[in-house]
Amino acid sequence: MGVDFQHIVEGFMVAIKPINLFLIIIGGFLGTVVGMLPGLGPATAVAVLIPITFGMDPTSALILMATIYYGAMYGGSRSSILINTPGDGSAIAATFDGYPMAQKGQAGQALTISAIASLIGGLFAIIGFIVLAKPLAAFALEFGPAEYFLLFLFTLSAIVSLSIGNMVKGFISMSIGLVLSTVGVDLQSGVHRFTFDIPQLSEGVDFLVVIIGIYAVGEVFYNYISIDKLKKEKKKVGSKWITKEQWNQTKWPMLRNGPIGFLIGVLPGAGGSIASMLSYSTEKQLSKHPEKFGKGAIEGLAAPESSNNAASVGAFIPLLTMGVPGSGTTAVILGAVVMLGLRPGPLLFENNPEMVWTLVDSMFIGNIFLVILNILLVGLLVRILDTPPKVLYPLILVLAFIGTYTLSYSMIDFYILVIFGLIGLGMKLLDFPVAPLILAVIVGGDMEQNFRKSIVAQDNFLNVIVASPVTIALTILTILSICYPFFIGWLRKRKQKNT
Amino acid sequence: MRKLIGIMILFTTLLIAGCSSGSDEASGSDSGGSDFPTKNIEIIAPASPGGGWDATARSMQKVFSDEGIIEKSMNVVNKPGGGGEVGWQYLKSKDAHTISINSSLVITNNLLGQSELTYNDFTPLAILTTEWNSVTVAPDSKFNTGAEIMEQLKKDPTSLKIAVAPSLGNDDHLSFVQAAQEFGVDVTKLNFMIYESGGDVLTAMLGGHVDVATSSVSEFKEQVLAGKLKMVAVTSEKPIEGLEDVPTWKEQGVDMVFPHWRGIMGPPDMTEDEITYWDEKISKLVETDAWKKILKNNEWEDYYMDSTESAKFLEKQMENYNELLNVSGLID
Amino acid sequence: MLRLITPLFFIFAGVIYVVFTFNLPQAKIGDPNGPLYFPAVIGIFLLLMSIVYLFQEWKKRGEKMEKVRQLFTGRTPFLIIASLVLIFIYTFLFERIGFLYSTIIFLTGLLFVVNGRKQWIKNILIAVIFSFITWYSFAELLNVSLP
Repeated sequence: MGVDFQHIVEGFMVAIKPINLFLIIIGGFLGTVVGMLPGLGPATAVAVLIPITFGMDPTSALILMATIYYGAMYGGSRSSILINTPGDGSAIAATFDGYPMAQKGQAGQALTISAIASLIGGLFAIIGFIVLAKPLAAFALEFGPAEYFLLFLFTLSAIVSLSIGNMVKGFISMSIGLVLSTVGVDLQSGVHRFTFDIPQLSEGVDFLVVIIGIYAVGEVFYNYISIDKLKKEKKKVGSKWITKEQWNQTKWPMLRNGPIGFLIGVLPGAGGSIASMLSYSTEKQLSKHPEKFGKGAIEGLAAPESSNNAASVGAFIPLLTMGVPGSGTTAVILGAVVMLGLRPGPLLFENNPEMVWTLVDSMFIGNIFLVILNILLVGLLVRILDTPPKVLYPLILVLAFIGTYTLSYSMIDFYILVIFGLIGLGMKLLDFPVAPLILAVIVGGDMEQNFRKSIVAQDNFLNVIVASPVTIALTILTILSICYPFFIGWLRKRKQKNT
Repeated sequence: MRKLIGIMILFTTLLIAGCSSGSDEASGSDSGGSDFPTKNIEIIAPASPGGGWDATARSMQKVFSDEGIIEKSMNVVNKPGGGGEVGWQYLKSKDAHTISINSSLVITNNLLGQSELTYNDFTPLAILTTEWNSVTVAPDSKFNTGAEIMEQLKKDPTSLKIAVAPSLGNDDHLSFVQAAQEFGVDVTKLNFMIYESGGDVLTAMLGGHVDVATSSVSEFKEQVLAGKLKMVAVTSEKPIEGLEDVPTWKEQGVDMVFPHWRGIMGPPDMTEDEITYWDEKISKLVETDAWKKILKNNEWEDYYMDSTESAKFLEKQMENYNELLNVSGLID
Repeated sequence: MLRLITPLFFIFAGVIYVVFTFNLPQAKIGDPNGPLYFPAVIGIFLLLMSIVYLFQEWKKRGEKMEKVRQLFTGRTPFLIIASLVLIFIYTFLFERIGFLYSTIIFLTGLLFVVNGRKQWIKNILIAVIFSFITWYSFAELLNVSLP
């Protein structure tokens, strides 16, 4: 269709109207804050703000909600880096190297680079949106049950393969996550599985409770071990400005993971968590020094941050081109704009192009505002680390409980939270990798449902694998990622023999 | 901008007002129903924010207070879980100041053996709105009417992949079962694929991964208007506004009307006065322009019934659902 | 021998899960065994991996587990148990006396346990101010329904 410059410019003029600029600032600020708090993710934030958008102009409401969405992507990694507690699923990957960086005294630089990476990922995705929205939407529709099943399988295998040298523990961790994902009503048959007649369990274990339990509560318990030793030692936060060398290390990872995140974001049914995890594992496998990953490698932080923000922009493509929500948050946004009398659908682009482009342009302005806001906030945020741990950890515990309560307003979740806190503590003590478990909880349910649908559609497993070029490619990638750690192990052994 | 700040201020004042009126709860007299309500009103949305139940509850709250129908402050309480079960358990322990949104799930959960509670455990107060269900196919599909689909399914019930969300035994599923049964299809053999949400069904449909979808009309309306999908039957009495070309099941020779309704119920053992209070307030609510506008935006249709009518309606629904669940094979 | 507890625990959990799986009710629509294929595969996979893990740990049975030992040194066991007790009380009070008061009690308790009794003024101040700010921002500004 070509690029619609006229509407892009008109949209820009609308986006810089004072009311819209004001909403971008409000939304960006709110998004950053809710992103930081454990449990309170963009979906909840948008949902609780729906009453405020009543009576707003639909375009302005969309701008506000979109800004909250990607603002939360910026905010989510703040707490990952500073206190090893991801704000929501897509910020998990930021703990892998962000927290070690903070422990090395590079908290300031870690926060800055993650904001810059988010900006680059976001800008890339906006350009992608302008040029490729429609063909990409058509491509995303090609993804059927078979494709999704294999995509999830590939993501899982990529994460397990990160635990090189410890594959058995990685697989056990993944299996436990998958076991958890089978709790709840089985969609295809309506059978209640492992719910023990507790109605709150019929919708399964919320992966956010698992994340908050393992990271926030588990981390607090784990830190009790060293809490008395940390007495007077003041943590260095270092400069917030990144060095030229760090920039050189991260510029390519940021650029190449923007597209990955963007493409995964466009797929309805994938999302920021999967995008950031895949980016992290890709970057580690491409790296010349994979052994530094997990110990504070700056690329390991920049890559997933670029990716998850690109995914949040990508998720708007199916919404705006077809009226199909591409993620949990966009589903809530869809519900909200419907209440305002606007029905995004295939005709939105034809009938209201200026509205679509206003939103896209507002994302451009919003991302620039957010990077400035987040870099300005670095100085303030690193002071969290000045809080004595004996005060900080009780506060984190309280926040974990509040965040959990806002997820489903049920006390059952408090018990689940504590159980996962203890599991998280155990996993840290026994050196079990946590990521495979969490990712398995996130994708497990969808993986099974898509597998069963694809079997109905294709008759048998072999046909599922050869259903389309996409499935063949994903199968090959899965096998490669599983073989990769063994291959590396073999290479190392050979090297040792030679020397 | 001024509006937003205004709303913020309004919210805070409302809540402060709410808190202060909450404190005299203890001193409130219980001398008779005429003083009802004596404290804050709670509207339960037995689901997370962002869905149809939540939207209904929040719209009610807004219109009740904006139009000055109810002076007391009101809160929406989200109690998701178990397809309404968690919220309704909570309602059962409350008094007449708490009301909850309901739908056919209050009947089917019990019939399916997933809940002890049924509509008899509560006080029906009103039926508010309805949506209609529809059957949709791809625009280039060989089927042009619902009847043609049913004829094919009669020959081979497993030949078509039918998408439905988010669970078996819901209205989308059962409305299709009822129509199929009228045509003499062996409904226990139908090949249903269950998706997590209406949006997922839409995606699967546009991507050509399923043959037929059964869903609310509103979820597919835009796509049908754009020519991306073809709607071949609706469950309403008369054709839907804006989609006059789509035949109803009645026009296709099947005597069935299948509403996908939402209503209001209160806790058990409400007094006559309390029921009268709610009847009066809710009948005022459905007359307001603000409410009508909300219905229009959401593509909901007014389906108002007062407490007496609702009770009768629920009884009839119970019989119908019991039969449908039996023939669908979900219960024996 | 301490090392063998974890793998044995996983094997035990795996067996329980598989037993539960095979006792799942059959589906009334579609393939009657549909709901149990996936859990069965996971359960068996978990069992296999746990057995491999058992062998790995058996080989290392002489080595000490430094990290786990730390858990039982100093104040750590007391801190964890005290936190669990406080959490239990918090859960009990949360919906009964409301968010604000229960959080103040919980946080004060935690701070007394973790931060020590000497700084009691500071503890109480932090607990009250922090609870109020979170309550205000969630319940009032964000309109989240808290008890």
